Amino acid sequence: MRRKQIVQPSDPAAVATVVMRLYVAGGAPNSVQAIANLEAICQQHLKGNYQLEIVDVFEQPLRALADGVIVTPSLTKLSPLPAAQVVGNLSDQSKVLLALGLQGKTP
Amino acid sequence: MTTTRPVSKAESAHPEAEVAFAAFIRRLAHDAATLRAIKSGKVDAILDPASGRAILLPEAREALRRGAAPANQILATLPREEYQRLLAAGLEPVTLALGEVLHEPGELIRQIYFPNESLLVSLVTRIQNHGALEIALVGSEGMVGLPVAQGIGTASVRAVAQGTGTALRMEAARFCEALGTCLALQRALHRYTHALIAQITQTAACNRFHQVEARLARWLLMASDRLQSNLIRFTHEWLADLLGVRRVGVTVAASALQQQRLIQYSRGNITILDREGLKASACECYQKIKDIFDCA
Ligand SMILES: [Zn+2]
Repeated sequence: MRRKQIVQPSDPAAVATVVMRLYVAGGAPNSVQAIANLEAICQQHLKGNYQLEIVDVFEQPLRALADGVIVTPSLTKLSPLPAAQVVGNLSDQSKVLLALGLQGKTP
Repeated sequence: MTTTRPVSKAESAHPEAEVAFAAFIRRLAHDAATLRAIKSGKVDAILDPASGRAILLPEAREALRRGAAPANQILATLPREEYQRLLAAGLEPVTLALGEVLHEPGELIRQIYFPNESLLVSLVTRIQNHGALEIALVGSEGMVGLPVAQGIGTASVRAVAQGTGTALRMEAARFCEALGTCLALQRALHRYTHALIAQITQTAACNRFHQVEARLARWLLMASDRLQSNLIRFTHEWLADLLGVRRVGVTVAASALQQQRLIQYSRGNITILDREGLKASACECYQKIKDIFDCA
């Protein structure tokens, strides 16, 4: 699988667009799962209000290293600050929501 | 249906190389958090700063060599060469979104789908002036587009994805062609057909005789089994549609189950808190359908 970038246009009227980068290892099972899990979370909790870049570490390993990524899949929230990271296939939704700063907003 | 999940161990003709590789991975993963992540089985690759390369972990390598380990239980029962024949014939991964329609009644089935454990598909029938009703739920235990396996090209129901998830799909014509030479798949699909008919039969009786609360409990358990998760993403509108009741009926039933601390729901999310308790609240149909699937 060669997925390069999925960029959702953000709503200019909204306050804080969540900017994320997901490092994946090609079409490896946990990576495929991480993409699906994250897309579901974004669709449900962020509506259109996010930017997600998916980076394949087999295509851009140096970029991952420069970003301090050790294992993939690895999700980094770049903004709003503070930055946060979640490693793994993102099956633990509450952990992802916490990292994205969305925990308190969903009862 | 019994599952024979492929053991995800790298097969190597050189055990020494394997040991050395494991040591190499351990050296790269020098901190506890990384080691934990690797042990969890939820990561695929590790970055090597020395070479500037990404290295696949053995499990992921093996999965990719197999063409990604099939999470679908029908595919998981197939001998490796049969599964690889299907991959070569065009079986490919696909991500589906909530509400995506896989086939409509009266229309040609263009693609067949083997859902992974992240995907639920409802088979839905429409009655004029009464809206839709779910007649069966298909997840990682099954296949969407089963008529194709019986030589029927046209769908009789609507198949619609319930949330974002992944599946392996194949063009119907190529699937038919490949099926002729895949004896294990033929047998697996015969068993699945039997189990699916049983599910539809039981669902028909259930929809007529059982109360909304018991039916909701049954549905949540069935969904949870297929997703292999206690978290089910759903809205009341969807559920009402599937169960063929008004939205308020679902709200009342869900509130009752929540008050008994069996489930917890918030917008779009239902978490099963007490599985055994939910089973006790579900109608007999849950266990009947499950037993037939387990024996098939
Ligand atoms: Zn029932």
